[in-house]
Amino acid sequence: MENFTPVSALAGGLLIGLGSAILWLGNGRIAGISGIFGQLLPPARTVVWRLVFLAALVFGAWGSAQLLPGIGVGGNAPAHLVEAPTSWGISTPVWLAIAGLLTGFGTKIGNGCTSGHGICGLARLSKRSFVAVAVFFVVAIATVTITGIV
Amino acid sequence: MRDALDLRYLLTAAFAGLLFGAGLYVSQMVDPLKVLHFLDFSAIPSGGWDPSLAFVMGGGLLVMFVAVRIGKGRTAPLFDSRFHEPEFNRIDTPLVAGAAIFGIGWGMSGICPGPAISLIGFWPDNLAIYLVALFVGSYAGAFIIPSGRDKRLAVAR
Repeated sequence: MENFTPVSALAGGLLIGLGSAILWLGNGRIAGISGIFGQLLPPARTVVWRLVFLAALVFGAWGSAQLLPGIGVGGNAPAHLVEAPTSWGISTPVWLAIAGLLTGFGTKIGNGCTSGHGICGLARLSKRSFVAVAVFFVVAIATVTITGIV
Repeated sequence: MRDALDLRYLLTAAFAGLLFGAGLYVSQMVDPLKVLHFLDFSAIPSGGWDPSLAFVMGGGLLVMFVAVRIGKGRTAPLFDSRFHEPEFNRIDTPLVAGAAIFGIGWGMSGICPGPAISLIGFWPDNLAIYLVALFVGSYAGAFIIPSGRDKRLAVAR
């Protein structure tokens, strides 16, 4: 197993859980990033806390990279996104635009992503979340195999 | 919500976001290749599979499971009048189709919404394109599936 990092993965998972727990017990809100991001536009009263949470999310990731350089975004190399598999004949920006569209659309109609369904929903023993998590993991695994992206 | 600008409420959201973002970095969820090497089950026979991300999910679930149990013993969270728990319980086509469509996007990119937004501080090439597409996709979905508890319940009926 290459690059197996159970300790930092577990530590990061505990931090993610702690952030979700604080948002739940403090404000009664589910730390589902697609939901927080996807409800930014309408002039709702909830926009303020959503923006505060997302800004803190960015700062938390960036700040911990300053404190703990060398883990996280591919070691010491600059952060980069994936490149489109050459065999598909699609340019990388278009590939990523399609991925972003599908992720935005899918998480909106499916009411959640890896955080909302994967952490909060499963912890609440939500039937819907168990189904969603099973489906998106199986499809993501199949997609990686079919596209040959790694 | 009692008051959208209650300072304790907003500080709680900020603290939660900070820890969540730190967790995404420390766990390496912000690294698309790390995520893809977890999703690449075809590498299991050759020993190239990286199971690390199962530990991220395990750690997150462990803490959140306890938090939900603590919440069950309370009538309301600290800074709001109620827990905003989804009341819609039916397994319907939008849920399954949405999760499947998201799974394709996740498998193509190795990033999901949390890591994608967290990467703003690192600003890799093409992130802006992905984020704009994420936003457009999300709002396209909102037109098809009305959001909001009451509307969803109405649709369910």
